Amino acid sequence: MKAPTPGMLAIGLLGVTVFTLMMVGPPGSYTPPPEPHSTGPAPSSISVNGFTLASDTVDLPIDEQQYPDGPHADVINANCTSCHSASMAMTQPVLSADQWKATVTKMKDVYKAPVAEKDIPAIIDYLTAMSVAQDGAPTGKVQNPAPDASGGTG
Amino acid sequence: MDRLDAELAAETSRRRFLQNAALGGAAIAAAPALAQGITQGLTDLHLPGGNAQRPMTSAFPGKGSMILQRVHPPLLETPMDVFDRDMFTPNDQFFVRWHWADIPTSIDVDAFRLTVRGHVNKPIAISLEQLMRLPRVEMAAVNQCSGNSRGLFQPRVSGAQWGNGAMGNAKWLGVRLRDVLDLAGVKAGAVQVRFGALDQPVVAGAPDFEKALDIDHARDGEVMIAFGMNGTQLPLLNGFPIRLIVPGWYSTYWVKMLNDIEVLPGPDDEYWMAKAYKIPATPGANVKPGAKDFPTVPINRMIPRSWVTSLGEGQRIAHEASIPLGGIAMGGDCGVARVDVSTDGGHHWFATKLGPDHGKFSFRRWDAQVPLPGPGQTALMSRCWNTAGVAQPMAPIWNPGGFMRGNIETTTIVTA
Repeated sequence: MKAPTPGMLAIGLLGVTVFTLMMVGPPGSYTPPPEPHSTGPAPSSISVNGFTLASDTVDLPIDEQQYPDGPHADVINANCTSCHSASMAMTQPVLSADQWKATVTKMKDVYKAPVAEKDIPAIIDYLTAMSVAQDGAPTGKVQNPAPDASGGTG
Repeated sequence: MDRLDAELAAETSRRRFLQNAALGGAAIAAAPALAQGITQGLTDLHLPGGNAQRPMTSAFPGKGSMILQRVHPPLLETPMDVFDRDMFTPNDQFFVRWHWADIPTSIDVDAFRLTVRGHVNKPIAISLEQLMRLPRVEMAAVNQCSGNSRGLFQPRVSGAQWGNGAMGNAKWLGVRLRDVLDLAGVKAGAVQVRFGALDQPVVAGAPDFEKALDIDHARDGEVMIAFGMNGTQLPLLNGFPIRLIVPGWYSTYWVKMLNDIEVLPGPDDEYWMAKAYKIPATPGANVKPGAKDFPTVPINRMIPRSWVTSLGEGQRIAHEASIPLGGIAMGGDCGVARVDVSTDGGHHWFATKLGPDHGKFSFRRWDAQVPLPGPGQTALMSRCWNTAGVAQPMAPIWNPGGFMRGNIETTTIVTA
């Protein structure tokens, strides 16, 4: 087989360059494909007796849902969105002011939520009003007058 | 990952970036309801008293279409129709429940270590490879949240407002907890074993989520450490790389992302055993609504339950003299012995035919051909007896934690 001439090499090089430029496109037009994680080597894995575990990396959705507008919404948004979504409160049945107070107190005392003492009445007011407004009718009213004595969760 | 999921993942990354970029501003600026960006439509959990609409979402890693109870930290409920398709709940629709928001989002299988320490002869830290070389066991078992169906309590109680889908059944592959404990050598006088995990509280001083079992329970050969779920590794949100499996007991003990086992010379008196997940020490964990100051014990064994799954709440069908009806049952801490169904609100009951037995801790399918009254509203019920002779009661229980619901459930359909 004949060795390529310098001219053939030049044409080949030009072709490769043009192709590369076409693929890259003009400045600013390149949109990377959606890649949630940086492309690197395949994740490490362990295989023993026919079963494989592969390292895993995920992205969890960020919740930017705020509490609905209302008196003291700014206070509850500032205090009660970093540890949990607003939906935790918004999905509750109608709770009395005493029940909301028990919950807010538990968040502060047991779960160490950094809520300033001065903000607590506003948060309870907001939740109590929201609870009733969201329900509309009183039929779903919780009749349990006692704060949850079980420590809750689950 | 399908196309939609890929797009959502990209969107999630973008929003995470924007959120990070905005940090420092304390972020009270009126944000639009961006949760809508990760949801598709609403579903109705039919909770008494309302506030029962929940969005559906497919935006969570390793998860398909789920009922969104809370984004952060995730509470994802399995839609009931999933249980009608297979006795084993697919990993991508298995319910998700986390207490604390600091959840590791990256797990390196080479670096991961499981420690066994405390009241043992030789504290150890074993790799996943070492764990996977131990003798293996596989078991079908229902994993059910203590508060599953809490939203159905009347009067309603506070807490995660689950419908019936905070549960799932899987084939768990792993090793016996006893074998792992023996690697370290449990000392005489051990009383309980406490389990810790990689997730952490988001604020300093808050109680880390840890649960404990009595030493005899931990060593019974049934409690296992699972690295496989329905034939593959666990989704990260279900506890990858390993979780505790406590067959017949509520999910609170099935510690996800298990990385620490501590043998205790006395009972665990920390928050999650001493204060949380406590039930009334009364038959059926039942007290009068509003009761307080009753003695409590940590929640423990599950009880029999069953559901109609071939028809959904509120569904409309053509009226016929008889219809096929199907559903699922679980025995709780033992097998399913029998399931009866009623199509007239519990006045008359009919036997069902049980499906294949996948083991005493598994869901079990039931099917029947049943006469229909009507036309009109029809109350469908199913009632399970377990192999210990315990049957589901007609009357619901009540307790302030909303734990251990197990009464006969009703699915109301309309025939015309």
